[in-house]
Amino acid sequence: MNEDSAARSDATGRRMVEGVARVVAVDGAKVWLEAESMSACAGCAAKAGCGTAAQPSRRTPRRFAATNDLDARIGERMVVGIPENALLRASATAYLVPLLAMIVAAVAASGLGGGDGAAALAAAAGLVAGLAFARRRAAMLTAHGGLTPVSLRRAGEALDGAACRPPLARG
Amino acid sequence: MQEYLLLLVATAVVNNVVLVKFLGLCPFMGTSNKVDTAIGMGMATTFVLTLSAVLAWAIESFLLVPFELAFLRTLTFILVIAAVVQFTEMAVRRISPVLYQTLGIFLPLITTNCAVLGVALLNVQEGHTFVESMLYGFGSALGFSVILVVFAGLRERLALAEVPAAFAGAPIGFVTAGLLSLAFMGFAGMSAG
Repeated sequence: MNEDSAARSDATGRRMVEGVARVVAVDGAKVWLEAESMSACAGCAAKAGCGTAAQPSRRTPRRFAATNDLDARIGERMVVGIPENALLRASATAYLVPLLAMIVAAVAASGLGGGDGAAALAAAAGLVAGLAFARRRAAMLTAHGGLTPVSLRRAGEALDGAACRPPLARG
Repeated sequence: MQEYLLLLVATAVVNNVVLVKFLGLCPFMGTSNKVDTAIGMGMATTFVLTLSAVLAWAIESFLLVPFELAFLRTLTFILVIAAVVQFTEMAVRRISPVLYQTLGIFLPLITTNCAVLGVALLNVQEGHTFVESMLYGFGSALGFSVILVVFAGLRERLALAEVPAAFAGAPIGFVTAGLLSLAFMGFAGMSAG
């Protein structure tokens, strides 16, 4: 969800979260896309001129598949979208499930009379179990198509008036 | 069990990390333009804040105190937070590459969220146990997320409102945040936590 992504509705009325990616391979009805820079600044991502876009070395490119309804060709920049509710479900799975597993395990260990050490061990075990469960659940979500991005349209050129802005406020 | 519940409510509502302790104001203002962004940031912060509160407690109790290295506390905690953010980035990437692509943008930002360091240091100051530290971190993060989403909703409405030119944008945002903070002060005294 970069600043250049937005929540809009698709043809069926579902709210979509959008982002821009470049087509790197076409495989029948699917396209493989490589996400553009993870910068918080739309202008930088579009122009690769400044900001975090200038330091891509830390991250290896991330590829993902999307539907190819628009007959995209290699090298084209596409706007892809994911249904908003699917994204929320997935982020709850990734972030909240491991956390809740950790908390429940630690509180249970503490409630059973364990000391701080026992609670810490239980928390670590809960976290690992939660992460494993989250991974399985995310795979299920992906398999059911909930998390498969949809090609919405071709991306235009650099956004109008989107000069290089600093990343989001920090502090 | 009841004291744990009280601690959660106290940290999430009564001593809200943003509106009462005034920590983490930068991401609070920076990522509250849209509700979607706020929810993503809130969940990522909840994960990182809770995990770093727990790890900071472990390092404080098992390393810094026994070896009398308390003077390295701030430095160590910053390293712990950076490590937790990296771990979270890796974990989310393995769990779901699409999710990582969409929500991963928030993760590096969390490293610089002063609420994360603030909560870890407050845990030490208050002398919490392991479970208390964890719940203190989780409650604070919950409070941060709720306020972030509420404020994002308000700002989405403000964007449509007719605001005098001098107040448009960030100024009216700060005025709204101030009013929210005043409202939250109404909870003060409900709990000693």
